[in-house]
Amino acid sequence: MTLEVCVMALGVVLMLADFWLPADRKKFAGYAAVAALAGLLFLSFGGCGCCSLSGTAFNGMFVEDGLAVFFKRFFLIAAILVLFMAVEFSDRIAGGVSEYYSLIVFALSGMLFAASANDFTMLFVSIELITITFYILTSFQRGRLVSLEAGVKYLILGALSSSFLVFGIALVWGTTGKLNFNELAAVAAQFESNKIFLIGVLFILVGLGFKIAAFPFQIWAPDVYQGAPTPTTAFLAVGSKAAGFVLLLRVLFTAVPTVTAHWANLLIVISGITILYGNLCALPQRNLKRLLGYSSIAHAGYLLLGVAALSTSGQSALLYYLAGYLFTVCAAFTVICLVTRHLDNDDLSALAGLNRRSPLLAATMTLAMVSLAGIPPLAGFFGKFLLLKSVLEQGAANPGYYCLAFTALAGVVISFYYYFGVIRAIYWSKAAADVSPISLSGPIKVALWICIAGMFWLGLFPSKALNLATEAASVFAK
Amino acid sequence: MDSLQNLIPETMLPDMMFYVFAGLTLGFGILVVANPFSRNPVTSAMFLVLAVISMAGLFVLLHAFFLAAVQVIVYAGAVMVLFLFVIMLLDIKDEQKRKIKKGFLLAGLLSVGTIAGLFIKGLHATRLDAHPSPTTEGDTALLGKLLFGQYVLPFEVVSVLLLVAMVGVILLSKKDLK
Repeated sequence: MTLEVCVMALGVVLMLADFWLPADRKKFAGYAAVAALAGLLFLSFGGCGCCSLSGTAFNGMFVEDGLAVFFKRFFLIAAILVLFMAVEFSDRIAGGVSEYYSLIVFALSGMLFAASANDFTMLFVSIELITITFYILTSFQRGRLVSLEAGVKYLILGALSSSFLVFGIALVWGTTGKLNFNELAAVAAQFESNKIFLIGVLFILVGLGFKIAAFPFQIWAPDVYQGAPTPTTAFLAVGSKAAGFVLLLRVLFTAVPTVTAHWANLLIVISGITILYGNLCALPQRNLKRLLGYSSIAHAGYLLLGVAALSTSGQSALLYYLAGYLFTVCAAFTVICLVTRHLDNDDLSALAGLNRRSPLLAATMTLAMVSLAGIPPLAGFFGKFLLLKSVLEQGAANPGYYCLAFTALAGVVISFYYYFGVIRAIYWSKAAADVSPISLSGPIKVALWICIAGMFWLGLFPSKALNLATEAASVFAK
Repeated sequence: MDSLQNLIPETMLPDMMFYVFAGLTLGFGILVVANPFSRNPVTSAMFLVLAVISMAGLFVLLHAFFLAAVQVIVYAGAVMVLFLFVIMLLDIKDEQKRKIKKGFLLAGLLSVGTIAGLFIKGLHATRLDAHPSPTTEGDTALLGKLLFGQYVLPFEVVSVLLLVAMVGVILLSKKDLK
């Protein structure tokens, strides 16, 4: 709990700091937030009270186990990288820079609660805290029409999915009388044939499917990714998606494990279609953020492989893949954020001649694309390898898993085309309108190097991170 | 007073009050959407207030006093004032002249009919001899204890959520940001 309280206090302090900071210094409040979050992250590894593995609190609503700690560190790193990006982005926000930082921190607090949610009440409240904060973060550039359009779309579809979620929770509560995940697990077996209970669980999955942008609830992702301010898009792609996944894992494997065991085919189908949809729709895209939006749908599909495998190895592969995805996506969006500073669109052509304008940015973007495509030796390759391995392990029980693995491989091959389109735009495009070198500030270089180091570390030395992921996933093995 | 008590046994009073409030709710509800005397949206909104207040009476009969109070304060008070503001701010001259289209009427009747059918089917399926034990749900003291005891964590997180929403509304609607 200390961690959550500290993060919320940081959000309030950032908002209050707006009163005393002179206008030209406001953007540097972001670095203060980065320093504070880095301190909290450091303390969480020190194990002094912040992230000790110590059971539950608030009548079992709040759980602090390996999985929660894994995701809390994940969210902290994500928020740190996004805040670096937000400082660079601050000159494009008309006003309220401090509020932008503090809203990012509040969204982070919602994610931290989501990581520890062990009760449907907490699940709903934390998801709403994240989503409502993102409505505002998405429409933050209110002078730009696309930003407002993205905000409205996200608001309407988000409200629809929330209503599904809360209706599902009401049905589950109405049939079983339980809200706590562990208590529900104890009685869920009795309700396996109760249709109302099953519809309730299905509706909850709809609500969570929206958060992770899985098919058929992915429709919002490309528009919102394109219109939102770039740091928001990055946080949406990493933080919001991961929050959806931690809640999905908790619901499927802690709350209703007996139901999940029957729904393997449903998960296989959703995962397969999500992979194909994301990759095929990304092919004709010329807008960078929209392309990454479709790519994030495809990655939701890859991550669902780990859920569909219904095994501890699948879950740990999912966690490992998410960690690689964090560094890769943050790297890509940081580059986009820097390159499009003086442009009013995010087309692929903006990258033209980037290798002459800034070799570091060009290299980072190339590495990010290579990692997203899943080529060794970067993080994305090993993650995809683990996910496919966990799916194939289950193949003996259900031939559907072989089809799923084949679909995922086909998706990977399709994705090569558009990821290499980005790399080609960097190095081999003819018309480079602007060849002025891009100057990078010190802190953003640090952020870029963190992303690069993360991608290489996870790809070359996977054992340490994999141990952490396996340890975190072991909470479901009980 | 004595004669009234003799006329109606005490146990029957809540039942009669139920019919009174239910009738009032339905009557005002009809006046909201199909008032034969006035097509003014403000009149409709005022009838909606009355419908909401009669519904609060139904909650009182169910011993849900807190819900009744919230119904009056939040819906009849705050939300309806908001409705009236919006109606008065927007130009609603067209609405008064609008004719009821046959397609909409048909769709409306169809949906009401379906819901009514489901209700009747549900009522038939229920055993009327079952006597549910009277519980004191909706008691404010109990609700307070639950909110600040068992559910204190979600309750506090909601307060952060409201703060975020407030900041967002100010940011998105302020005239000029510095």
